[in-house]
Amino acid sequence: MSVRRLNKILLYDEGAAQSLNVEEIAEYLRKKLAKIGVEVRGDPFCRLHDRISDYAKKIACIKIQDATRRMLSGQETLYGEIEYEKKRILGKTRAFGVLYDGLELQRIFWEIISREQRSLEFVHIFFTNRLFATWDEHDRRYHARVSVYGIPSIISTTGVVEAPAKPREYYLLKQQYEMLRKDLLELKDGFKGSFMDYDDERLTEVVKGYAMQAVFYYLIGYPFCEDKGCRLYNAHWQEELIFAQLGSEYEFCPQHKGLIEDENGH
Amino acid sequence: MVIEEIEVKEDKTVKELIDELKLSSPVLLEVNGEVFYPDENYGKILKRGDIVVLIPIIDGG
Repeated sequence: MSVRRLNKILLYDEGAAQSLNVEEIAEYLRKKLAKIGVEVRGDPFCRLHDRISDYAKKIACIKIQDATRRMLSGQETLYGEIEYEKKRILGKTRAFGVLYDGLELQRIFWEIISREQRSLEFVHIFFTNRLFATWDEHDRRYHARVSVYGIPSIISTTGVVEAPAKPREYYLLKQQYEMLRKDLLELKDGFKGSFMDYDDERLTEVVKGYAMQAVFYYLIGYPFCEDKGCRLYNAHWQEELIFAQLGSEYEFCPQHKGLIEDENGH
Repeated sequence: MVIEEIEVKEDKTVKELIDELKLSSPVLLEVNGEVFYPDENYGKILKRGDIVVLIPIIDGG
């Protein structure tokens, strides 16, 4: 397996959940990968104030209106939607009720990265609270995602909550609660801890594993592992996510642990 | 798909290479240290012997 030489890991906070501690993630990465510099860059739009309107328009154009219809490039958008995105970029709102096309969002963030750092030597990771989805040609619909790995990689704190499926039992009971107009918070309380929720105190710990997936994507070309106990496991269920990131007896499987050790020169 | 290197066997454009590969996921390409989206540079000529890095964009969760 060939291992790529990495120059630096760069972390950006594109309005991620307030409970996400990016500095703590940076510190975790520094400990795991002692020879690679880690820099926290903060808001990726902060030096682009003269182009906020352009980016707001681009982002407004990649909203998914209907999860069963593939978004068309260059779709029309409304003035109000562009204004909303301007506020969102400027940090005047942290709302997260909109669904975006994940590949298009990744491509917009790519434009923000300077040309000389658009390379596999620089691990760019954008943390965002935007919820995004990617189109699946098999069932011809969008699916919400936690992450998209590329240049840059993007990790959604809202995706951590919404993308991996909750227990089947939860959805069945949710239908009953809705029919009977019962309080959904009561239902959530019954499942407390079994899935990630908004303002979850476990969020930073969970996202450390996704940041490592992004690092492995650059390092060996693939972010995931088949081992359900490894932090690189591509969880599609909340139960799997919680086990891989918080419940497993080990952080990384022997193969990936070995690669980290090699990277540190052990 | 994983990030992988391929060697160009004969001169062709980026568009011809992408059509030939019939990739299942979107990719970035790295050629001679420059990374770009294929559709930004469809007309670019790749020379025989050039090494192209295919950088698939992979979703998770």
